Amino acid sequence: MAKGKILVVDDDPDIALATRLCLESAGYEVIEARNSTEGLEIVKRERPNLIVLDVMMDSTTEGFQMALTLRSPDPKSEYQQYQDIPIIMQTSIHSTTPVRFAPDQDYLPVDRFLDKPLDPDELLKTVGDLLKTS
Amino acid sequence: MDQQAILGEPMEAWLSRDAANNNRRLILTRWLAGVLVLVITAASVHVLGLPLREYSLYLLGLAILLYNGALVVLTRRASDPDGNLYLRNIRRLMILQVILDWLSMAVFIHLTGGITSPGIVLFSIHVVMVTILLPGQSPYVYAIFGILVVLAVALLERANVLPYSGVIPGVSDDLHHNGLYITAQVIFFAVGLFAIVSITSSIITRLRERERQVMALLQTTRDTSSTLELHVVLEKLARHAAEALLVSRASIRLLDPTGEQLTMAASYGLSQPYLEKGPVELSQSRLDLEALSGTVVVIGHAAQDPRVQYPKEMAEEGINSILVVPIVGRQPLGVLRVYSDAPDFFKREDADFLQAIAHQSATAIENALTYEALQQAEQQRTRFIRQVTHELRAPVTGAQSLLRVLLRNMAGALTPQQQDILARLENRMDGLLALITDLLALAASKSIEHERKLEAVPLQPVVQAVVDGFAHQADEKHVRLKLTLPSSTLVVKATEDGLKRIFENLVGNAVKYTPEGGLVQVDLAECPKCAQVTVADTGIGIPEEALEKMGEEFYRAPNAVRSGIPGTGLGMAIVKEFIASFGGLMRIQSAVGAGTTITVTLPLADA
Repeated sequence: MAKGKILVVDDDPDIALATRLCLESAGYEVIEARNSTEGLEIVKRERPNLIVLDVMMDSTTEGFQMALTLRSPDPKSEYQQYQDIPIIMQTSIHSTTPVRFAPDQDYLPVDRFLDKPLDPDELLKTVGDLLKTS
Repeated sequence: MDQQAILGEPMEAWLSRDAANNNRRLILTRWLAGVLVLVITAASVHVLGLPLREYSLYLLGLAILLYNGALVVLTRRASDPDGNLYLRNIRRLMILQVILDWLSMAVFIHLTGGITSPGIVLFSIHVVMVTILLPGQSPYVYAIFGILVVLAVALLERANVLPYSGVIPGVSDDLHHNGLYITAQVIFFAVGLFAIVSITSSIITRLRERERQVMALLQTTRDTSSTLELHVVLEKLARHAAEALLVSRASIRLLDPTGEQLTMAASYGLSQPYLEKGPVELSQSRLDLEALSGTVVVIGHAAQDPRVQYPKEMAEEGINSILVVPIVGRQPLGVLRVYSDAPDFFKREDADFLQAIAHQSATAIENALTYEALQQAEQQRTRFIRQVTHELRAPVTGAQSLLRVLLRNMAGALTPQQQDILARLENRMDGLLALITDLLALAASKSIEHERKLEAVPLQPVVQAVVDGFAHQADEKHVRLKLTLPSSTLVVKATEDGLKRIFENLVGNAVKYTPEGGLVQVDLAECPKCAQVTVADTGIGIPEEALEKMGEEFYRAPNAVRSGIPGTGLGMAIVKEFIASFGGLMRIQSAVGAGTTITVTLPLADA
């Protein structure tokens, strides 16, 4: 029995694979999506326990857009029932754009930021923490 | 249009200084006049034995000196502490002086023989002064008053209402009764006065116009060369050109890179529809073609002139006169045009003047154009480097992520040799990623864009976060990492990212190059108008010959290379660039084997 179902949204297949291997080794079930459209469909279909999201997919803000859609404050939002799924954002945007983002409830509704390249220990610890409290 | 309104603040100061000078000269002349009345009267009576009305003239001389004294006091009250007259007070003061002088002149002429007085001539001196002092038509009015007062004294003395007192012995006592003599005297006096006013005022007007032009030219040059922003330079030039030629519209068109079109680069006072009438094709616009070939073009009836490309739009805009001069630097840059509603408004002198303005501004325009091109190139470079860095990072990040997963046996167990090879691979990847990150930081520190983003950033939180970030690494190495912060908040003008890069490199190096059991001490303190951050370590130190090369790209001190500790050789270059861009200073003191102390001084944001 898997410890939980995790959706990994990343357009870089290598990062996605690394993330998958890391999570699977710890006993999680992993579903992959290559973009936000696919990701949102899977959210509705599979209702994952947690989402690992890449910041930059087709556009530099696609990941942010997906997080905003999922956590929309609009009560009529079709994702209303998925609001409490924890989101981890994997990003290398910190060093490539001068703008810095930080988890901020008003601005970016994600729970944690993790820098790329993937640090397996940190990822597993963060996932464990978030799933325990959620 | 009012001259003061056109030329703004500096012109007003100049006018005020000019008025103050004239006023001073007038008062000085009057002291002299008063004294001369006293001295000449005394000399005439007692040396030459002339039959003057001695005491009355003494009284007049004293009266002149007395009211001159009063005027000195009034002037002082009407001036600022620097002696410049307040403009609003000038007219009142001048009119008061003219009236008083006119009265004393009348008394003087009466006392020295009325129509036969040799003093009548002195009136012309006074008229010259008044013409210099008073604007427009007022000197003519004053001349009329002068003629009237001479005529009045003559007529009153002829009718014996006023006592006649001739001063020249031998002049017949009946002369002042002679109608023909009086008429001739008054007519010649009148003609003389009007001629003086007319000649003087035409000289003064031209002189003032020249003075105004010189001022306008100076101001244009000063204003246009005070900035490197092209649109500001051009807008200032357009405005100054219009104001200098006393019109309300001007435009600047610059040649496009093909050299076939003139595009509107700046305008002043022109309507939006007119500005949107489209680009000027050089082949269709003979006036611009002529101007660019070096001829000044003066057009008096724009709508009928075949040289104009858009006559209909000109008519709609109400433009009749156009003056076009070329703007030529090292090569032709474009044209400067001024427009007037009045037909045949611009004269040859205007063309020379506008040409001078255009010529003076060409250098400023060229500088701004060069600066703009530089900035664009710099922006392109920065964008390119950012793009390249991102493209480089993505594959390395992917590869590294996979390696890390492999190394932790998450994709199956590895043999010890495989483990070792992958660990080496990971190391090389770490180095590569560090290099890419540093290259990006270096590019960012050198970009003009970065300098535009400077803002007030509190220093403590940044330094605190950086030191916290290295706590774990220091702990693992058994290096003590200490931080002292001041109680007051220090805010510097910088970017948060840049500050972070500076201290990440300095604290990172200190921890990296300090052996086990050592100490890294970070101190933040306030200095006069600056913040000072000291990073001191007990590390391997920097050899003296390497000190001056610190900050050179890809340079690493020999002992650092020997230590086997990885590094890109870009860290100190990044530090140096960022500190320079924040207007700060860095000092390095070091002794091999004993440690290094680096002191960074950054100016405070409000200083």
